[in-house]
Amino acid sequence: MKLSDIDVAVIGSGPAGMAASIRAKEEGAEHVLILERQEQLGGLLHQCVHNGFGLFYFEQDLTGPEYGHRFAEKVKDLGIQVLLETMVTQISPDRQITAVNNHEGVLRLKPKSIVLAMGCRERSRGQLNVPGTRPAGIFTAGTAQRFVNVEGWIPGRKVVILGSGDIGMIMARRLTLEGVEVKAVVEILPYIGGLTRNEVQCLHDFHIPLLLEHTVTEIHGQQRLEAVTIARVNKDKKPVNGTERMIECDTLLLSVGLIPENELSRMAGVALDPLTGGPVVDQWRETNVSGIFAGGNVVHVHDLVDEVSWEAEIAGASAARFAKKEETEKEKKMLKPGRNIRYVVPQSISAQHDVTLYARVKDMEENVTLKVGDIFSKSLRVVKPGEMLKIDLSPSQLQQLKDDPVELSIEGSKRR
Amino acid sequence: MVEEKIVCIGCPLGCRTTLRIDHHGDVVKITGYKCKEGRQYVLEEYRNPVRILTATIRTEKSRRPLLPVRTNRPILKSRLKEATLILVRLKAKPPVKVGQVILPNLLKSGVDVIATDDLFE
Repeated sequence: MKLSDIDVAVIGSGPAGMAASIRAKEEGAEHVLILERQEQLGGLLHQCVHNGFGLFYFEQDLTGPEYGHRFAEKVKDLGIQVLLETMVTQISPDRQITAVNNHEGVLRLKPKSIVLAMGCRERSRGQLNVPGTRPAGIFTAGTAQRFVNVEGWIPGRKVVILGSGDIGMIMARRLTLEGVEVKAVVEILPYIGGLTRNEVQCLHDFHIPLLLEHTVTEIHGQQRLEAVTIARVNKDKKPVNGTERMIECDTLLLSVGLIPENELSRMAGVALDPLTGGPVVDQWRETNVSGIFAGGNVVHVHDLVDEVSWEAEIAGASAARFAKKEETEKEKKMLKPGRNIRYVVPQSISAQHDVTLYARVKDMEENVTLKVGDIFSKSLRVVKPGEMLKIDLSPSQLQQLKDDPVELSIEGSKRR
Repeated sequence: MVEEKIVCIGCPLGCRTTLRIDHHGDVVKITGYKCKEGRQYVLEEYRNPVRILTATIRTEKSRRPLLPVRTNRPILKSRLKEATLILVRLKAKPPVKVGQVILPNLLKSGVDVIATDDLFE
């Protein structure tokens, strides 16, 4: 296996990594290499056996494995080199990659450009500080998903789910169909964390109680989880005295958010945005380190896989152009989150080419106007933190941009 | 007269609608929707609430313990649990190709259960 003269190396082979590698190849990079730590391509898609994948990308309603299969076939057809069961342990700022596997031992690679596509991981109990004992039976929703859908184990018989992220709601349905009793989905906010589609098709369809403005205040049990105490919370998200009640259960699933996985990015000297948890990128998805690009959930956590692949394609194409020493534009205008905007990606734009901005709001609001500087405004009936905003801008609009940084904001509508 | 509550999933608004239904089962009035598409969705969801069923089935003679499957077309949501009980009894033997029919005519509905991934030994 020839590992010299690599044009583009892609770290990870989930929906982002596969899309990036395909696009890099199509853009003319000759030698594209994927480094994947698992034994097959596809990343987390294998455990996402539910449908709802590819509605936009393929205009078909596919499951995770089917969505991944289509990309994996293309990776094979295009002759993209793949190293499986290979763990990247380090990336240096001069783009040297150190990786290990069982066949070759330690590998050192020096590709012309790199695409970071490591995805994200789940927040766990440690980040929540739920008081109580430390029994077995507490899992992140994604871990339970792997047990049930890939390994063939049922994690427990009576389940409470903390947090209403999409994976949590999807697991509520999956476990119910497998004969498990899902006692409640408990959400601290006054609205769900995931998509409305999942609230309807995963919770309502199976009459699973959704307790908004509630949280778990204590965990009980010595060896195995025996019960949780839940309580209503006030506006400051603090438990209200006297509202506590115990729910008997042997399993608690956590579906409380995802964090971009950026240990390797940090080693490479890639600057991270504290608002997204992912690299600061320009519209070509290049990071502050020349020749290192990033796409998908490693940059920011998306709602839909289709968007993950699209974003990674930008990174893949840009990495191929970099490898071919094609000049990219250096002129940049910074973007800045304004009122009720939690973050915006990319963090800077060239203002010369079409660009799509992705943004997330902090709080739910109705009847508002979304504004980009003074060049774009759009009325929206509702904005929710769980549903990403997408704004397409054309060069003719961008040429009118005067401000730098450009502010994105949500303004209250004028009421008649 | 009965009332049925349906949440619209057409857009992030997630309108909570109420349908009033007479004793023939006909929809007399819909309230709570905010657009034409939403009204249409709610009506369709009331008359014919269908879902794609996804699941996993056991395997034999494969390194992988499970094969993911789905129905190739949506089935009535009231039959999801019943359908799952059929799938529990199935076993897949390699080789299986993605899209291959695992069980034709599930519950005599005309809908097939298909593999959503390849299965090797």
